[in-house]
Formats: sequence, structure tokens, C-alpha cells
Amino acid sequence: MTRLDRLTPALLTAPSALVYAGALLVPLAGVLALSLHGFDFQDGILPGWNLANYRDLLTDPLFGEALARTFRIAALTTLICLLIGVPEAWIIHRMDPRWRGPMLLIVVGPLLVSVVVRNFGWMVLLGTNGLVNQAMTALHMPGAPFRLMFTELAVVIGLVHVMVPLVVLSVWASLGRLDPVLERAAISLGAGRFTIFTRIVLPNVMPGVLAGALMVFCLSASAFATPAMLGGKRLKVVSSMTYNEFLNTLNWPLGAALATVLMAAILLATLLWTRLVEKRALRRLGEVARGGPA
Amino acid sequence: MSAPAFLTLDGVGKDYGTVTAVRAVSLTVAPGEFLGLLGPSGCGKTTTLQMIAGFETPSRGHVLMEGRDLAGIPPAKRGIGLVFQSYALFPHMTAAENVAFGLEMRGVPKAERAKRVAEALAQVRLGHLADRFPRNMSGGQQQRVALARALVFEPRLLLLDEPLSNLDAKLREEMQVELRALQRRIGVTTVLVTHDQAEAMALCDRVAIMQGGRVVQIDAPWQAYDIPADAFVADFLGRSNRLPARAASGEAEAAGHRFSLPPELADRHGEILLTIRPERLRIRCERTAESAPGLDGRVQARLFLGGFWLYTVETALGAFAVVAQNTGATPLDEGAAVTLDWDAHSLRRLEPA
Repeated sequence: MTRLDRLTPALLTAPSALVYAGALLVPLAGVLALSLHGFDFQDGILPGWNLANYRDLLTDPLFGEALARTFRIAALTTLICLLIGVPEAWIIHRMDPRWRGPMLLIVVGPLLVSVVVRNFGWMVLLGTNGLVNQAMTALHMPGAPFRLMFTELAVVIGLVHVMVPLVVLSVWASLGRLDPVLERAAISLGAGRFTIFTRIVLPNVMPGVLAGALMVFCLSASAFATPAMLGGKRLKVVSSMTYNEFLNTLNWPLGAALATVLMAAILLATLLWTRLVEKRALRRLGEVARGGPA
Repeated sequence: MSAPAFLTLDGVGKDYGTVTAVRAVSLTVAPGEFLGLLGPSGCGKTTTLQMIAGFETPSRGHVLMEGRDLAGIPPAKRGIGLVFQSYALFPHMTAAENVAFGLEMRGVPKAERAKRVAEALAQVRLGHLADRFPRNMSGGQQQRVALARALVFEPRLLLLDEPLSNLDAKLREEMQVELRALQRRIGVTTVLVTHDQAEAMALCDRVAIMQGGRVVQIDAPWQAYDIPADAFVADFLGRSNRLPARAASGEAEAAGHRFSLPPELADRHGEILLTIRPERLRIRCERTAESAPGLDGRVQARLFLGGFWLYTVETALGAFAVVAQNTGATPLDEGAAVTLDWDAHSLRRLEPA
């Protein structure tokens, strides 16, 4: 091998590596550095380096509450997305090919609508005089109308709406790699539809299910617009607190610390998920799970 | 067949829209029999198998098992063991778990399940690989797991869909011997679908040769080979030479060459299509006396196949394939002048396909 041959891989990946470093690593380092400064309303960002922002956050009960809420919403959203998305992908997979295209388009529909429009739609539906409450009142539901807007439930509904397609698409990709004859083999051995789904299909599409779950969790935990619009001002999550510090209070160092803590928390959750859940669930699938050829 | 039929197909056919995949197949399979559905791709053999298994609903006709119509009985309730071309082993289950699945679905208690799985795996000589995943097994081993999985719940009927076509030649031969012995031992009625005539002939008690959605001939393999129903069967099963001739008073004439016809064709007159198998032709290198019967020719090509030589001999009647046993003698050279002759009773008349 010549010297140039050895350098080729590095040279070929250099442009994307530069973009990656310039657009992601440098700003991240900037945020981290910013979070280590103090802040004063008269003097702005102070020159000294310290961990005061982090100490303030960890001792602030409001922050603890927001962090817990962030993860509660993300976890609930992920769970509901899986319960809806996995069977949905399976149903569409089994559909007549003629219907599959239109159905997939309907599934990804929410992703094609602007976040503001989508959430405004939910505000109309979930308001005290909204369609949902009108329907429930008409049906004489005890306790109706309910307070739906500005609740965690509203945030979860709004997030599930836009996140389900991610699970469907992720599981859909896994289903495409599933040998369709497996189903007939299971039938010939006496398995019913439900058993085939739980015992044969689900274990084999686990890589897609877990990848979809991880995507939904990370995006839900860092979502900003939906919690802000459907949760309102009083229902704070970490991302809306961050936004507030940067743009309203103008305490950039505290905002940077908030962003750093959120990122670290999501990273930690991801690592735990991969180590505890994904590894165990995928061990049976062997090479397939590691993504390499058998 | 004199034995009572175990499986009966009565005019079974399948249409997909305006396309007819299977016209009308009627056949019976005796208990314990090994029947082959043999034909080129698109002949309807796989569709026929799917209708027996219950994955396809016949457009007409009936499938009967022990006299009972299977119409409306879902595949899971038919008690049929299936082996697929791709094996279709569950990738996330070990060999033992794959085999156990059918028993579990039938509610066999765990202790008995383990015992029967061990027996089934031992039967296909895989007892030592029970805890392996399919991805860590060779094609032949996966094939045997698939077989154990299909047999463990003691199905009344075993259906094999091109079970050996993914194996290499040597392994395929070994598996043929093993499959045949296993089927004999267990005595399960078996239907095999294949496009490989050698495989069908090696394994089956009888073969149903299919073409264009129809069964052309059902016979024991050697009978179908010896007396093919038509030109299609003659060409599809093994090699054959065609010999168009004119018949008159017990003799045939082609391109100035006269030869006698077998007694059963003695009363034929006019155009006749004859056929003769390559191994029924005798090849001699020396020219014989004018009086001796024989067809002169020249060796155009030769192929060494181990146990025998396959010669292509160019004659006045066209090219002939000739199989000569490898006796250890020096083979004939390409270009050598030779004489072919044969016994009149080796000739068969063909219906044009």
C-alpha cells in the first residue's frame, strides 16, 4: 500500500468530518464553556470560571420538577408511540400493495405539517369549548367538560401525534428484512395470528422497535414547541426553561448550563437503554442485531 | 392404486384473475407413499402444494384427506408438516426451540416437549447442535432442523417444497439418501415438489410430471422414464434421442436407413416419432459388415462423467447422445468413425408434445 492509499479514507471523510466538527462540536464546546461563567444583570456575562450555575440548578426544586416532568412526558410518549406504532407498521406491512403507499403517506402526514399549525390544531380540539369537550358533554360524560389544555396529557397527545411515524417507519424497515415465509412456517406449525405477531414477528423486528423508541424518547425529551404551546407557561420542561433563560432573562450562562444538563441526561438515558435493554433484547438475533453481515 | 387413497386431489385447479396456474389436477396418494410433483417452473406444482397445505384456496375441485374434504379448514388445523425451500427457520430461536414450537402450539406439556424435541433432533443426527442458532449452522444442518421441526408433531402428511435445491450437489445427494431412509422409517405420507428430475426419481415412489398446469403422467419413476407419455416427459426425465421415421409393415425408414420396429408398433403405418434412451444405444468403433444392422456416424463430442462417457454422435439421422459405461478401456476420440446399433424393443413411440 502506498502512502496515498493509506490516506485515502481519511481524505474522503475529511469534508464531512469538518462540517460535523464545525457545525456541532465547536458550538457544543462553546455552550459548555459559556455555562461555566457567571452572570450579572448589570455587567452581563462575568469573566470568571466556576460551577455556580450547576450548583444553582441542582438545588432548585423548580428545575428538579421540570427535569422529572421532561422525562415523564418523554417516557409516556415513547410508550404510547410503541403501542400504536408497532401494530400499525405490522398492519400496513400486511396490506395489499395497492393500499400500502397511500397508507404510509397518511402515517407520515403529521411530519409534513408545520409544528405550529399542528399544535394550534390540537389547541382548538382540546380547549374547554373544543371539539373533544363538546363531544364528551354531548355524550353526558360525568365531569365533562375536562381541563385538557395546559396539562401534561395535552403535551403527550401532541408529541405522540408527530412521533408515531418515526416508530412506524423504523419498524417498517425491519419488517422488510423479515422472510415472509416465516409466517407460513408458523401457521403450518399451528400458530394463530396473535402468536405469530408476538412470538415470531416482534422478536425479529426488535432492532427497529428499539431504534424507534430511542429516537422518540430523545426527540420528546428535547422537544420545545409542543410543550410550550400545549403545556403553557406554567408547565415548564427543561427545553422551555432553556429558551426562557436565553431569550427572556438573557442569562445565557444559566441557559447554557440547562442545555448541558438536558443533553447529559438524555445521553445517560440513551446509554442505559442501550446497555440494559437493547443488548439483552438483541443478543438472540446475533449478527443481525450488530448490523453487520452474518 | 389398489391401496385406499390417503390424499385425493379431485379436479383441483387455481386461477389468478384471467391466468390459470393449475387447470385440473386429479391424483391420489396412498398411505405412506412418497409422491413427487415434478415439472419446470411455472407448471403449477408449487400452487398445487399450496392448495394441499391450505395457503391457497382452489378455484375448483376438492382436496380430500382420508376421504374428508379439506375446504374451509385453515392451514394451522390441517396437521400437515411443511419444509420450505428457504427452510424458514425462526432466526431468533435455537434449533431445539424451532423444533419445540409446533409442540408448544399444540399444548404439549414442557417435559414431554423436551423429550420429543431431543428425539426429533436425534433422528436427523443433530442432537449435539440443539442449542445452536440457525445462523451458525450449515445449509445441510438447517435443512435437517427444518425437517425435524416438520416431523416432531407427527403430521399425517409431510409436504416438501424444493427442500434440497439450496444445497450443493454432493450434500444434496447425501440428503436425498437420508431423506428417503427417514421417510421409509417413519412411514409418513409425503408429497415433494421439485423441478429437479434426478431428485424426484431418486426419492419418490411415484412422480406426477406436470406441464402447463396439468399432470401429464403419473407413474413410478422408472416406468415414466422407460415409457414416457409424450415428448415432453421424454425430454424432461433424463436424456432422450428423437427419431422421426416412416413406418410400414413392422419396419421403419429414416433418411435411407431401415430398421425393425418392436412388436407393439408392428401395425403402425406412416409418420411416426420414435425415441431411444442414450444408454440403450451401443457404440462400436469398427465398421461392421454391410449385412449387420448399424447406423454409421462420427463422434462429435465426448464428456467424461466418471462412471460413464457421454458421446454426441453425428449421423445421417441427426445427432445422438450415447452413454457408454466406463469399463476402463480407452475412450473413443472426437472425430472417430463409429457405428451405433440398438435392439428394436428399446424403441418407444412418442405422442408429439
